[in-house]
Amino acid sequence: MTDPKPARTDADLSRTLAEFSVPSEAGNERLAMETVAEAVRDLDIRGESLERLKTAVAEATMNAMEHGNKYRAEVPVEVIVLVEDQDLIVRITDRGSGPPPAQGRDAPNLEAKLEGMQTPRGWGLFLIKSMVDEMSITGDDGHHTIELVVHLGVEGGK
Amino acid sequence: MAVRHLNVEVRLEPDVAVLDLMGEINGFAEEALNTAYAQADAKDTKTILLNFEGVDYINSTGIALIVGLLAKARASHKRLLACNLSEHYVEIFNITRLSDFMSVFPDEQSAMSETSVS
Repeated sequence: MTDPKPARTDADLSRTLAEFSVPSEAGNERLAMETVAEAVRDLDIRGESLERLKTAVAEATMNAMEHGNKYRAEVPVEVIVLVEDQDLIVRITDRGSGPPPAQGRDAPNLEAKLEGMQTPRGWGLFLIKSMVDEMSITGDDGHHTIELVVHLGVEGGK
Repeated sequence: MAVRHLNVEVRLEPDVAVLDLMGEINGFAEEALNTAYAQADAKDTKTILLNFEGVDYINSTGIALIVGLLAKARASHKRLLACNLSEHYVEIFNITRLSDFMSVFPDEQSAMSETSVS
């Protein structure tokens, strides 16, 4: 993993809390998750809200390593953590190509999975969407970026 | 950060086979989990209890593995229960609706009480 860069303040009121990358190796989603948790330690995100953020970051990093970078260890997943206005934003970028995955995915059909009519997998995007206030995915020919947003403040955050 | 591979111990309580889960439930856990479940299934009890007390991380692949265990239990008409999940993973079991199909208890004692009255 590259070392998180020190926080910097941009003129546009966004404040970068951390920028780092992790190799695309199974298990490194926990490294990304704990690094983001450390980066937001001074924000008002604690307890269950922090656990939700950590799960969203871990799942998004797993998706990036698996589907974007095909678990090629030499291809990094890049993570940036910043605050803009009253939002915490985490952007996770892989080197995948092709259209980004559909974002409007409904809840997985557990009955169909239990009956063997669907693969038991396919929970990642659903979990991410459930854990944060906003999620979006963008992409071009060589990158996919998933953006996670948590509204800060007393009324913000899931 | 080193992965804490799943270790599972199987023990037999009255009418219940208990799987004590320790470590992470992720893609690396598949063999350990399925092997332990097969051992528990062979105990020939009507109920199998997953004890998550030693588990600090479950990812979406781990959720899929638990769905697989639940499918096996339903196919063999066994009850699969869960206990000692953290508050966060209780929420995830609710969101995924796993808790609609497997009762979740705060601790082993309450799970055992349920099995003794049903």
